[in-house]
Amino acid sequence: MSTSRQTVAVLFGGRSLEHDVSIVSGLQIVHALDPERFSPLPVYIDQSTRWWIGDSLWTTESFKRGGPDRSKLIEVTVSSGFGTSQLVPVGAVPGLSHPPVHVDCFVPVLHGTFGEDGCVQGVLELGGCAYVGCGVLASALGMNKRVTKVVAQQAGVPVVPWVSTPRAVLDRGSAWLKELPAQVAAALGWPVIVKPCNLGSSAGVSTAANAEELIAGVLKVFEYDTEALIEPFITNRLEINVAVAGLDEPVPSVTEMPVTSQASPLSFSEKYKKQGTKGVGTSEGMASALRILDPDALPLEMRQRAQRYATTVFAALGCEGISRIDFLINADTNQLFFNEINTLPGSLAFYLWSAAPHYWTITELLGRLIDRAERLQAMKRGLQRQPPAELRLLG
Amino acid sequence: MRSFWPWLPLLMLVQALLTWRRSLGYLRYFQQEGYEAIRFTKWANVRSLTDPAFWAATAAAMLAMWRPFVAATAFMVVGVVLALAQPDPRVSGKIPLRLTWRAVRVLVVSLVLSFALWLAVANTLVRADMQAPLLASAFLLALLPFVMILANLLLTPYEQNVQRRFEADAVRIVKTVKPQIIGITGSYGKSSSKSMLAHILQFDAPTLAATGSINTLMGVTRHIRENLMRGHKFMVVEMGAFKTGSIRRLCELTPPSAGLITAVGDMHLERFGSLDAIVTAKGELAEAIPPGGLLVVNADSPGALKIARKATHCRVLLYGETSSEALATRIEDIRFTKKGTTFTLRTAERAYQCFTPLLGRPIVLNLAGVFTLAIALGVSPDVAVAALRTLRPVSNRLEVVEEKGITWIRDAYNSNQFGFRAALEVAAALPVNRRFLATPGCIELGAQQFDVNRALSREASLVCDNTVVVADTNKEAFIAGHRDAGREARLVTVPNRAEAFRWIRDTIQDGDAVILENDLPDLYERSSGLFWREREQAS
Repeated sequence: MSTSRQTVAVLFGGRSLEHDVSIVSGLQIVHALDPERFSPLPVYIDQSTRWWIGDSLWTTESFKRGGPDRSKLIEVTVSSGFGTSQLVPVGAVPGLSHPPVHVDCFVPVLHGTFGEDGCVQGVLELGGCAYVGCGVLASALGMNKRVTKVVAQQAGVPVVPWVSTPRAVLDRGSAWLKELPAQVAAALGWPVIVKPCNLGSSAGVSTAANAEELIAGVLKVFEYDTEALIEPFITNRLEINVAVAGLDEPVPSVTEMPVTSQASPLSFSEKYKKQGTKGVGTSEGMASALRILDPDALPLEMRQRAQRYATTVFAALGCEGISRIDFLINADTNQLFFNEINTLPGSLAFYLWSAAPHYWTITELLGRLIDRAERLQAMKRGLQRQPPAELRLLG
Repeated sequence: MRSFWPWLPLLMLVQALLTWRRSLGYLRYFQQEGYEAIRFTKWANVRSLTDPAFWAATAAAMLAMWRPFVAATAFMVVGVVLALAQPDPRVSGKIPLRLTWRAVRVLVVSLVLSFALWLAVANTLVRADMQAPLLASAFLLALLPFVMILANLLLTPYEQNVQRRFEADAVRIVKTVKPQIIGITGSYGKSSSKSMLAHILQFDAPTLAATGSINTLMGVTRHIRENLMRGHKFMVVEMGAFKTGSIRRLCELTPPSAGLITAVGDMHLERFGSLDAIVTAKGELAEAIPPGGLLVVNADSPGALKIARKATHCRVLLYGETSSEALATRIEDIRFTKKGTTFTLRTAERAYQCFTPLLGRPIVLNLAGVFTLAIALGVSPDVAVAALRTLRPVSNRLEVVEEKGITWIRDAYNSNQFGFRAALEVAAALPVNRRFLATPGCIELGAQQFDVNRALSREASLVCDNTVVVADTNKEAFIAGHRDAGREARLVTVPNRAEAFRWIRDTIQDGDAVILENDLPDLYERSSGLFWREREQAS
């Protein structure tokens, strides 16, 4: 084994509804890293946010039936020493336990809460670690659909109107049961789509054609999230997605159109499982969901506009790594709207890069992203943090 | 020197392998029976005598009279093959064996005892030469389930000690967090009522309720230690009555300020002996409610009503559909569709039009109880009604799933006659072509078991085009029931669920409905994959 290979820790799992999806994505990345340059280290974050390393983490097989056997794994944590960039065993006994593992770069492949929203990124920042993908701010912004829309709108990208309601309305009696539908009817009309403000995936998403369904949809959201976002449901709609890679400058991928986009919003199982089979267990679970790349049924101008909007939003939020930006098209009016951003899309949306015009393999792309992440972190580490004389109050 | 001495280590090794595999196999069922000696003994019965390994050892012991070495070799070969052919209970069956620390303890002690037993028998028969170890093997294989019971018995003081420490810890946590505890008991509908109540309460304040049907002292203790956290305002506890006193003990651990009694009927009659004993056992919840506390009771159930009458120390609210009592909540106008159930809940103030994606008359009855309790606890009735729309069907509890043109009415987790009838009622109400039913019938009904199943069979024959009765447990009752209706030709008998699925797959067509009713635990199947692998089961 060459000693010059860099250790790349791939983080997956996480305290999120998309825990299992993340395991599938994460292991795809583990196996896609260039073996000549990198030595992958799978790091599993379990539902209680403990971090584990071990030999059994390399295949999805060991995650079935209640997860991997913890007694064969080593619990680790990011060393709190700034810039050490180490994973240290928890409760380590010097000389007896597993030695600390130096990590050159982290690749978070966590979807949803506590992983895509800046939490893990914050932990890595504290350790001064290099990591691929969005930083704390962009992650946190991208996780909140309402705030993202505000930023996109500010950057000149059209968005659909919305009404949002915090979970705290539950503490204010039952008047909201009447007021919210009235507000929605006046501002948006029917039907509407109700979604959690802070979750990825399609969990908790529903459509409502009347007040009763709206309230049911909002309560469904409140099971998972602290804020519900309500938008008009465009009945005759199309969805197109564009991925953007943060290289020297943001590079858009080809557009894609999920073929189920004209039906109701993708349910969780449609999005992640192949029909009729248990798709989550297979490595191609997400990539093989049906889609059309660069749909020529759409005017070229619209596809290009989507790419332009995508890079605009990516830059406005200050994203890094690979994000997937989803758009809605009102097929009746031919209007294009920014819908949401996934700052850590499933499988890092690699299928969008392997097509024209880039023909990048995921291996190649990961290599470039890791290089960039290391450069960025080196730059941040190099910033002056020593207090200047006037701030040295204690000598 | 005796001639079998050189063979002894090899025979021991084969026996060790067999003992290990078989012990794991039995342990799965011992675990499912909650390590209760009597219930496990009932299951074990003479089952070990059907173990081919036992017969191989016995046959080899006979053969050893004439051909000792051939016999020993044959037993070793057959023993290894049988041991390897046995499916691993840790990864097979409907409820796989979970190797908890307790299971490991029972297993280890049991293996040690087995070894000692084998040596003792072999040593006693040492004059019988090669027959000695082979007879010891046969003896051990026959007694293995009972060795396991003995192992558990030896561990009892230790287990009790561990359990007491855990309980004390749980009590301490409950005292620190101080959640408002709502106890739920009843002969049926406990688990679903618990999850529905927690579903509604969560929109009022942080609520804890165990998933599944954790309802024993040990289960609740563990659940509290792992999940109860500061900030939980409500805790909904399902309380199972396994014998008189079990609910009282649970109420010491989690003292309820409110209670819900879903129904008191003759389920588990075998365990209690009489309906009065069941009423007393469930009534312990009412007794545990403090003066001024709240008790919500299903007035449609005469047994539950008896408990309500005795509870004069607290506020009692009744709910129901058919009861002539003065009800806090009355159910009216129930209708079933493939999407769910619509119904009206009438309180003293007004009538609430409700919809829920769940199905079945018992569910609506439970919902009425949960609704009554929730609004008495201060939840806005409008929020509660809205929350009913967001309930999700629980898999295999009267869950309607449409798949490739077939309507599956999955009710595998139901085990009582009321749920059984509810599934038939829903099936009859849905617009489908033909209706098929697969079920092993209902169990644990004591002397009434035959009659209850006979009646269910008769009713099923009126709704379903064919009924597939699984296994022997209730076969005769089902034959009698179909005969009562003059529809014997509609009954199909099969030995196990795999065969039932095969029959159904071969028969169904687009537009048909299939009811899967009360899938019994592995315990009751004719061939249960204990000693060898079964063919892959569908669905």
